[in-house]
Amino acid sequence: MLILLKNIFKTYKAGQVDVPALVDITLQVDQGEFVAIIGQSGSGKTTLLDIVGCLSQPTSGEYWLDGDHVNTLPDSLLTGIRNKKIGFIFQTFHLLARKTALENVQLPLMYAGASRTVQQDKARELLTRVGLEDRLRHYSNQLSGGQQQRVAIARALANSPSLLLADEPTGNLDSQSGKDILALFEQLHRQGQTIVMITHDPLIAHQAERRITLADGRIVADESIHQPLPVLG
Amino acid sequence: MLRSIFLDALKNLSGNALRSGLTMLGVIIGVAAVITMIAIVEGGQVWLVHSLERMGTNLLFVWKKRLTVEERQLFAGRNTELRYDDALAIQTRFPDLLVAPIIELDGQLKAGDRDYSGEVTATAPEYSPIRNFRPESGRFLTSTDLKEWSRSVVLGRTIAEVLFGSQSAIGEDVKIGDQRFTVIAVMEPKGEIYGHDYDEMVIIPISTGLRFFQGTDKIQSMIIHVPDRQRMDEISQALHQFLVQRHDGVDDIHIRNQGEFLTALDQTILTFRLVLGGIAVIALLVGGIGIMNIMLVTVTERTREIGLRKAIGARRQDILLQFLIESTTISVIGGCIGILVGILAAYGIGDLVAQAMPGGGDWGAVVQPTAIAIAFAFAVMVGVGFGLFPAMKASKLDPAEALRHQ
Repeated sequence: MLILLKNIFKTYKAGQVDVPALVDITLQVDQGEFVAIIGQSGSGKTTLLDIVGCLSQPTSGEYWLDGDHVNTLPDSLLTGIRNKKIGFIFQTFHLLARKTALENVQLPLMYAGASRTVQQDKARELLTRVGLEDRLRHYSNQLSGGQQQRVAIARALANSPSLLLADEPTGNLDSQSGKDILALFEQLHRQGQTIVMITHDPLIAHQAERRITLADGRIVADESIHQPLPVLG
Repeated sequence: MLRSIFLDALKNLSGNALRSGLTMLGVIIGVAAVITMIAIVEGGQVWLVHSLERMGTNLLFVWKKRLTVEERQLFAGRNTELRYDDALAIQTRFPDLLVAPIIELDGQLKAGDRDYSGEVTATAPEYSPIRNFRPESGRFLTSTDLKEWSRSVVLGRTIAEVLFGSQSAIGEDVKIGDQRFTVIAVMEPKGEIYGHDYDEMVIIPISTGLRFFQGTDKIQSMIIHVPDRQRMDEISQALHQFLVQRHDGVDDIHIRNQGEFLTALDQTILTFRLVLGGIAVIALLVGGIGIMNIMLVTVTERTREIGLRKAIGARRQDILLQFLIESTTISVIGGCIGILVGILAAYGIGDLVAQAMPGGGDWGAVVQPTAIAIAFAFAVMVGVGFGLFPAMKASKLDPAEALRHQ
């Protein structure tokens, strides 16, 4: 079992009023699963992603990730967990504009304390794996959206994370690039990579093997997809 | 990692070259101001001390107070003049002092068909060592000249040229009034010090001056050299007492102590240093505020980058270090440029002062390595100090919020 959420609540304060974002979420994700979390905007997807990604702490409840009791850990240790156990993929890629593809992929390795040679070798290997071996020295404004997202995926994989956490990974891509990215996810999944993907699009959610539906901060459905659609097109 | 952070900082600064340049300008001006101000005050001090040394050091100036009508009536019949005898008595009583009695006379000089009218100074042989003013050719007055009321005259460099052109003046005759004198020395060039042009001096023996020109034994003043600077106050007081006693108890003597003057000068220079240094430090602080301002803008602009870095594993101290290195880089580069600008400005202003000030020909700024070190250290401290708040702000950003910052 990779992820265990037990009775997670998250409440935001808006002035005097408490706004519940997540209500009593209990959820378990095993090693190697490919899970889609789907819901309308405002359903609590993003809040759930923040908590699962150790970017913020729940108001109450327990969170275990790969054996770490996350909700009891201080900020300083969460950073290390994000660095080593989680690979983030964002809708807007979040590449650093003043850095080349290679340098962007090196970043998590640098923060993990790897030597420069190790950083460069590993980054080159990862970019080759996502098909960008001829784009190593390009800056993000010299890359297409699909290529930028591939750089982001390479960066997410840098420290061999136990969990790949994707937030609307195809949201800013044209349909062909989106399909390519999903195909890449599918390939990573077959290699045993655990993936949690957040989306509002049911078709994209259908690429996963399990679909969790959120509404108003609660899990309203958790179903297996026995026959994932073949990658569209 | 440090190397990478430093390269990032350089990239970010050069990516916003105009902004970085303007921010650096504050530091450049601050550092340059510190260096220039210190160099100019230092140069002023060196110049003042130097001119004091040329004027002679450890000097006491003795002259007679002007008495009021009432005082003159009150002290009628008492001995209330400064006389040649006073000088001789001082020399006898205090043998380790050098004493030069002085009278100033108006004189008409004539040599051949050239003439000159000006002041003639009658004094003793001690004048030369006291004033640190030596003959370039010939010999200065001697005690024999005094004893024999000799008609010997010593000329300043300019006078010698006026009267004799490029010819040697030694041994030539000069008429002062209707008395015939022989030139025994031409003095080295010394220039003007505090409004007194030594090169325009005409010096004759005091005894000759008293006997042939003045007809009394009153002298106008005395310059006295004290061998030990530490004893100047003590000797000044002893002299005062000694002279009052000789003047039948009338206190009609002024003694000015060059040591007091030097102390006052030191205090003035210290004040200058503090005031100018303070202004320069304020300039540097303003530069620091500029850094802080721009770093705060940078942190806001790069909130998403900070969020991303935190999401993929940057610790607080990594972010802190990143922004501190950026602000410090601004101040270090600005500091280096400021040092160059400061040195150039110091020498430039030094030259201007030298040209503008009478007798300031050898005036020059003095740039000291310690001043450079202080200015540079200050600049780095400003970079770190004023970068700290923005960097802390950056490091404390919440990663989830920062990532979605618009």
